[in-house]
This record gives sequence, C-alpha cells and structure tokens, in this order.
Amino acid sequence: MAEVNIQIDGRALRVASGTTILKAAERIGIVIPRFCYHPAFEPEGSCRMCLVEIEGLPKLDLACSTVVREGMKVWTSTPQVLQARQDVLEFFLADHPLDCPICDKAGECYLQDYYDRHGRYGSVFLEAKEKKSKLVRIGPRLLLDRERCVLCNRCVRFLQLVTKTGELGIFERGVRSEVGIDAGAEIRNNYSGNLVDICPVGAITDRDFRFKTRVWFMENSRTVCPRCSRGCAIVIQWSSGYPLRGDRRKVYRLIPAENPDVNGWWICDYGRYDYPDIEENRRTRITVNPGSDDAPPRPSWGSVLKGMAGEIRALTEAGREERISVVLNSFLTNEELALAQKLLSGALRVRSLFFADPLPGQADGYLLTAERAPNGQGAAALGFKRELPDAGRLAASTDLLIVFGPYLAEHFSPEAYASCLNRVRRKYLVSAHKTGQDAAFDVILPAAVPAEKKGSYTNVQGLTQSFEPAFPAPGDGLPEAEILARLAPELEVKPE
Amino acid sequence: MSFVLSAGAEKRVDEIISRSPKREAALLPVLQLIQREQGFISPEAVAWTAAKLGVPPLRIGEVLSFYTMLRRKPAGRYVIQVCRNISCVMAGAADLVAHLETRLAVKPGETTPDGKFTLLEVECLGNCDHAPCLMVNDDDYGPVTRDRVDALLKELE
Amino acid sequence: MTDATAVLLPADGSSFRLASYVGRGGYAAARTALLSRTPQQVMDEVKKANLRGRGGAGFPAGSKWSFVPQQDERPRYLCVNADEGEPGTFKDRAILTRNPHLLLEGVILTSYAVGIHKAYIYIRGEYEAIARRLEASIEEARREKFLGTGIFGTGFDLEVIVYRGAGSYICGEETALLESIEGKKGWPRLRPPFPAVVGLFRAPTVINNVETIANVPLVVRQGAEVYIARGLPRDGGTRLFGVSGAVRRPGLYELPVGTPLRRIIDEWAGGPAEGQTIKAVCPGGLSAPFLTPDELDVAMDYESLALAKSMLGSAGIIVVGDRTPMVDVLGIVARFYAHESCGQCTPCRIGTTWIRKIVERIACGCGKPGDLALVGRLAEGMKGRTLCPMGDAAAFPVLSIVGKFEKELGDLIPR
Repeated sequence: MAEVNIQIDGRALRVASGTTILKAAERIGIVIPRFCYHPAFEPEGSCRMCLVEIEGLPKLDLACSTVVREGMKVWTSTPQVLQARQDVLEFFLADHPLDCPICDKAGECYLQDYYDRHGRYGSVFLEAKEKKSKLVRIGPRLLLDRERCVLCNRCVRFLQLVTKTGELGIFERGVRSEVGIDAGAEIRNNYSGNLVDICPVGAITDRDFRFKTRVWFMENSRTVCPRCSRGCAIVIQWSSGYPLRGDRRKVYRLIPAENPDVNGWWICDYGRYDYPDIEENRRTRITVNPGSDDAPPRPSWGSVLKGMAGEIRALTEAGREERISVVLNSFLTNEELALAQKLLSGALRVRSLFFADPLPGQADGYLLTAERAPNGQGAAALGFKRELPDAGRLAASTDLLIVFGPYLAEHFSPEAYASCLNRVRRKYLVSAHKTGQDAAFDVILPAAVPAEKKGSYTNVQGLTQSFEPAFPAPGDGLPEAEILARLAPELEVKPE
Repeated sequence: MSFVLSAGAEKRVDEIISRSPKREAALLPVLQLIQREQGFISPEAVAWTAAKLGVPPLRIGEVLSFYTMLRRKPAGRYVIQVCRNISCVMAGAADLVAHLETRLAVKPGETTPDGKFTLLEVECLGNCDHAPCLMVNDDDYGPVTRDRVDALLKELE
Repeated sequence: MTDATAVLLPADGSSFRLASYVGRGGYAAARTALLSRTPQQVMDEVKKANLRGRGGAGFPAGSKWSFVPQQDERPRYLCVNADEGEPGTFKDRAILTRNPHLLLEGVILTSYAVGIHKAYIYIRGEYEAIARRLEASIEEARREKFLGTGIFGTGFDLEVIVYRGAGSYICGEETALLESIEGKKGWPRLRPPFPAVVGLFRAPTVINNVETIANVPLVVRQGAEVYIARGLPRDGGTRLFGVSGAVRRPGLYELPVGTPLRRIIDEWAGGPAEGQTIKAVCPGGLSAPFLTPDELDVAMDYESLALAKSMLGSAGIIVVGDRTPMVDVLGIVARFYAHESCGQCTPCRIGTTWIRKIVERIACGCGKPGDLALVGRLAEGMKGRTLCPMGDAAAFPVLSIVGKFEKELGDLIPR
C-alpha cells in the first residue's frame, strides 16, 4: 500500500494514499468539525463545515472528501478557516429554532458543541425563521422536527445504504427543503434507533427517551449486548444520584459503541430497546418458599449456599450424583461456564448438564442472529452439548434440580413444566428476573444480568469479547460466578 | 380509481424506457408525458410510474416536489406564466401581473373557478429581448401590453 | 458577416430546415471529418481554435474533451446544455430555433472527436415548442443518414435524444443536469471526480453549451486560424451577445469576441431607452457582477472582464436604466437565487433566503443600519464555500450592487 508524506498544522505524518484529509487529521488527534460526514458513508460534501486550507490553493477545500497528495500541507485553524467555520455555523443557526431548553439533544448536539468551540459570535439574524412541522411521526418510535433539521442527509443515506429500505427522502428545494416520508409510511425496520444516534441535532428524536433526562446526568458504561449471539458493543447510559431521589438507579437507554469487528456503528432495535430488562421484574432477595424444611426469617447467602451444598454432598457422597440435574444457559460468561464445568462435571461428576436458552427468533440478515443468547459459541467451545432436558425423564431421574435462568419454562407447556417440577424433590432456581413459574422452586437465588457482570462472551463469529460490570446487581443479587465461587468451599472442592 | 393512459402514450412510455440506459432515468420524460395527457400527476400516476420503472414512490415524490413545472394538482386549461425577472420587470411585468389579476380575478398561483386559466409568476423565460414576456401553455408572447393581454384572453375564449 | 456558412444565426426565415442548411454548405464539415479525418484531428483543431465554453464558465472546449479517458471501455455521452436559465440570456433559443442543424452538425463533430455515440440535448421545459422543432430537425437529419446508424455511410453511429427539463435553473449546472437526466432531483455533484471521467450514468461525459457546440462546425469548416482571427487569440470566434433591459433595440448581436461593451449597447442595441440614462449593466447574465456607467468601455472577452472584476458568463447584457431603483434589481437577484437554490449545501440554502429577507425589509422601508453590510458579509460567506458554482453566482451580483450602489440603497434605510 503506497504511502504519502503530508503535513497538517505543521506536523508531519505518513498516511496511506487515498486517505482523506479528515481521516489523516484524526490520526493525529485533530478532529475537524462536520455534520454530513459519517465514517459509514462516502463523503457527502454538503454541510461545508469541514473546509480547510491547503497551502498553495486560493479556495478552501473540504477535508472530508479531499484526498491527500504527496507533499500536501494542510492548515486547519488559520484565520480563513476559522472564519469559514464560523460563517457556515452562522448559516446553520440562522434558520435553527431556539429549542435547546426543550430539546433532548442538548449536551450531545453538534450545533451546541460547535458553537461553543467555533462560534461564540453575536447573532444578527433579525428575520422570521422558516416555519416547518415540528412533530412528524416517522415511525412508531421516531419523531421528526423539521425546523431543527440541518439537512445533513445522514438519515436518508442510512436508510438507503445500511437498511436498504429507503423510507426517507428530501423534498422541495432551497430553504423549504425538508426530510419526508411517503404518506402513511413508517420506519419500521430493526435499525430505526440508529437514526437518532446519527442525527447530529435534535431533529430525529426517540419517543422512548424524549424528555426523560439530560444527557449530562448519565454515566456511560460500555458492555456487550446479550440479546443475541452477535455481541454488539453497546453503551448503557444510566444515572444514580441527582436528579434521581434516594439511592435510585435508572437505566435510560442503550446506544451503540463503535466496534469495527462486530457491529460497526450500529445496533438493532431488538437489542437497543430491551434495556428495561436490566431493571424490570428483578429478583433482589433470596427466596425460600414456604412449605420447605428450612425457612429462616431472612436467608443469607451463606446459610442458603451451605444448605444447598449439604444437599448436593448428600447425593454425591452416596455415589448418587446421577440424581443431580443442572440446567445452565448461554447468558453465563465463559468464565462462569468454565467454573460450572470444573465444579459440576469435574469435581462433582454431575452428568446431567442441560442448557435452556430463550426460544430462537428470526435472524434479520444483518446483526440480529436467530440465537437469542450471547454465549452459545462460548459454551460450545467449552464442550457443552447444550441440550434441553426431556421433561419426563428429568422428573423421573432427578432428586435435586438446579436451574440457571428463567428460560426453561419457555420450552414446555405450563402443565408439563409444573408436573415435571412437582415430581422433583428439591429445586433451586438461580435467576435475575421474577417469572410466573417461580413458585414451584424451593429456593430462588437472585442473580445478576449481563450488564452487572464481569467476564467474556464468544459471539457467533467466534470472537471473544470481555466486558466489565456497569453497576452491581440490585439488592442481594450476585453474578453466577460469585455464587459458584461461594458454593465451592461449601462443597469442600477447590474451584481452581 | 385505476390509472389509464392512452394507447399512444403507453407506447411512447415504452419507447422512452427502451432508449434509456437505465429504467429509472426515464422518470422525468414519463412524468412529463403523463402530465401532458392528464394535466397533472395523480397519486395513481405515481404508483403506476413507480411500478413501471422500478422506482420507489418516495423518489417520485421527491422529484415532483423539486421541479416547478411538474404538477400534483390539475391546472387550468391555459397556464399563463408571466416572467418576473429583471428585464421583464424593467419593461413593466408587475403591471402586467396586476392587470391579469384583475382580469382573471385570481392571484398568482391560483386557477380561475371555471378551470380555464392558471396564473403563475415565474423566473426568466429566456425571451428577454421581447420583454415583458409571458407564456400561455407552450407558446411565447412578448413584448406584451395590456391590450395584447386583453386580446389574448379573448382569443382563448 | 456575409458568409452564410460563417454565422451562427443566418438571416433567412427558412434557415431551420435541413435543405436550407445543406444548401448553405451545412453538414459538409461533418461529412469530411468522418470520411477523411481522425477524431484526434478534429479535437486538435477545436483546441487550436481556443473555443471557450459559451455557457458561463468559459472553459476551453477542446481541453474539456481531452479529459475523457480514451482507454476506457465504458460508453461515452455528450450532453448539450440547452437549459438557458440564466436571466438575460436568450441566445441558445435563437440557435435552436433558427439554426438547429448547425447545432446537430456540431453534435456530430464533437461526438466523433471524443468517441461518443449517444448525445442528449437537455432543453429547459419552458422551451417545449423549440424541443418539438428540434426533434423534427433530428428526424430530418436521420432520414438523410446524418444521424443514427452508419452516418454518412461510415461505421459511426450517433443517437441524439432531446431531454426536457422541468423548471429548475440549477439543472443548467453541468452535474445537476446529469442528475436530472438520470431521473433525479437536480442536486449538483461533489467534484472530483469530474464528468469527463465520471459523468452520466457514471460514464465519461462531455457537457457543453448549445452555442459552444454550434461553433464547432464553424471551427472545422473555417479552420482554427480563421476562426481565431474572428475573435481574440486566446478566445476565438464570435459570440451571440444578448442585450435586454433599458435599451432601444433589445436583441441578439453576433459579434467578435472582444467587442467593447459600450459599442454593443450604443451602436448595436441603440443606446439607452427613450428618456433614460444607463445606471448599471450586468454584462454576462445575472450571475455576473454589475458594472457602473463608467466601467462600460471594457472589451467583451473573458480576460478583460475578469480584470474589470466582472465576467463574460453567458454574454447576456442586462442594461438597467435610471428609472429602475437598484433595490428592485437587488430584490429580483435575491429572490431569484433563493427560489432556485437546490438546498443541498448550507451556505446557499440559508444565505440566499436570508439575503432575500433582508432586502425585502429594506425595500419596504424597514431596513436597519448595518443591513447592507450584513448582506455583503453573507454574500461573502457564500462565495467560494458552496458545493457548486451557484453560490458564487448568487454572491457576485449582490456584492457588486451593494458595493457600487451603497448610497442609493443606504438612502432607503431610516437612520
């Protein structure tokens, strides 16, 4: 690959031939302002915000589309460039509504950020601004405000080039240009949420997020989406403390993180809008159901795991480990699965290891896979067969059942499931969520959701990705790794 | 309401498509042909054209909204376009428009209730040495005086 | 100009017919070229003649043609720009109406020189009657085997299609024209790549104005030297100067490149209209900077006008009489560009309408101190910053009017 030597702002660098000025500048930490440019698309060249000076040329040129040449000297902050930036920004803002106080995008808006950095002029716009529709429903989740739109064309291009569904276009001409959709049409594809992310201003907003909070109140925690086996990089945006009261913690939304190896710049709506799963219907307390032998007033992890270990050892030490059945799932991290394997198959010689994952769905031909759990590949790589148990045989062969996750019930009719569980003497459930079928279990241990775990998943491509917890599990909840690690000493086996 | 073109027009459409390197490039000529025959481009025409050319209806909508000569609503039998650009204004175009407004009792952009005349103010028609000029459908007139306007309106009875 | 073969606009009324054109020696140059000259020879002759584009930009035609990569398997296209939307311009209409076969012969020669077999004549929708006449002329030529397959009995094929515009000035910009032919909105394209390499349907394309192509047979017939001698060394031939506005004899005058502007106005167009004096002149279509009465001794060629800080453009000479308030002129300029802006890029989309709104305020007595300076600053803000040349086109006349008529405009602003 041929390389060229150039200078940007007096700094020398070598880049591959064919690189644009904008990308070359990014290499050395110079971020040139832009609206219409997005790395996912070919340069558009319409916003005119990225104009820079090339030594020897009288007119300014676009950084986004101009390819560097040997010996080129680029200047990104000369008075001419700064004036051009300010002028272009002034044009943008001249016809932009003063919506900041009510606009969701405040705090992550290109216009605000650029005005702060490159504007700071006094407005001299005295005319009437163009009036346009401010609340156009373009999809079940999306609202378009045409006055705020800066006509960067990103949304149109995304739907043409990424989803190839082409729902949006730009109508009219001149200052009356506006983003529009066919009468009665809607954006209903599985990637609609990305439009809100790529819109540089508050023109396209998410009804789900609208008016809920200000972005500067939110923390950003990067992790891996667990909703399918793609393992897209996501950022959980959440807050605790002000303006929330008490020790409330709230997850507001998920946005994509850039991952060139997996999801590029996008995530699907299926994963994006499932963030309520992190907080809704959570188990926060150890539950010991009435009618069983040991029912302490408020069970502690120590006491419950001691009891559980006792029951397990009663069977293993009598050589009856075949009466223990464990149902795992593919939401367990590689580390958790390895630990479970060492403990159960290895140390305890439990043979009846099953997997229960959510029912598969329809792959969407892009990111969303049919498999709706994150670590099927990881489990397979560790040698797990990942089979569902047969309800009848499970009931007949099991004295002690440990089920991880709420997914087993999805695979049987309520009657079959209930009748199976009724015939098992002792049943433990380790689950992050409450479901209707939980009452059948004797002891229910609260677990963490993937967002609260540390570990790694191996995705459908075979790529192993590590992640850190965004926050701890609520109440008494623990990651399964921790539960297993605490169980191990009670079993008098080393977890290694 | 289904969309029907005359046999001749359908044949013309096929001819236009056949000599287009790309089907979608036939969009403008086909829309213009439909407008010549039906006076405007209806939603049914859009759907028909979309299917015929393999062009999304959205794109047709964009094109219709961009070009001033393409109409989504019927116009009068006679479309009067009066130039309001520089040489014509200097020659008295404003007076001409005012006169037509009075005679036709419509404002620019409107069609007379009897569906006969549509009055439009347009940009330069490329007839500047005959200012002030106007067009009635495809015909050029200029220089136009008030009297000439009156005579013209009479001719178009 | 008695040599009937040497003019763009012959005098007789039947000149548009093929028989009349052939009778005047028409199609002979094309026949000779296809039968006994190479394409390169034709291109070289046009280059030598310094035939500059007559649409507005003035780019040398021969050079433009030579940018088309010859070692390329893709089909090539010629687009003749007959959109003629520049206010003050009405010359292409005359060529198309009075001498269409000259244009067609030019299309043949150009296509032969560059290796093109399909030519589009993009004509503005308002010229419908002319378009039909042109199609009839093409049919005439086809019957004589001057167009179609095997022209003049050679193996050279050429199809000519008349493509109508639909009411958009910006479609006269060459890449917007391409987009329009492709069935889309007239949104100009980002360059590079340039149309000669990536043009119509992404194939190499030559785009030239009607008058430019119409000059090609004159170049080939007379030879480059004779052609140049009729104009200036670096800017050969004659041009159709269109004069309109406050003059006694508005019309088209075919004169050598380099004829002084004042001569054209006074001698050919009869001087200012009855009872008026000249207040301002726009020499090259509305997109050119306006000149004041003491600036009219400039020669009408690209270099001279550029030195005079204006431009030859489309050679559409608009004469403003003293009876016309400059605020009205400015208002028309502002409104025109705001109306025609395609809206794709920020400075033009916002700037043209902002300027229009300020000028409207000034015109109705609500101007504020600083308004004129602001209009000038906004026009400067568009200049050189837009995706296509329309930003400059919108800026130049505004800047010249605001700069040269400050007093007259300023008097309208209450203190």
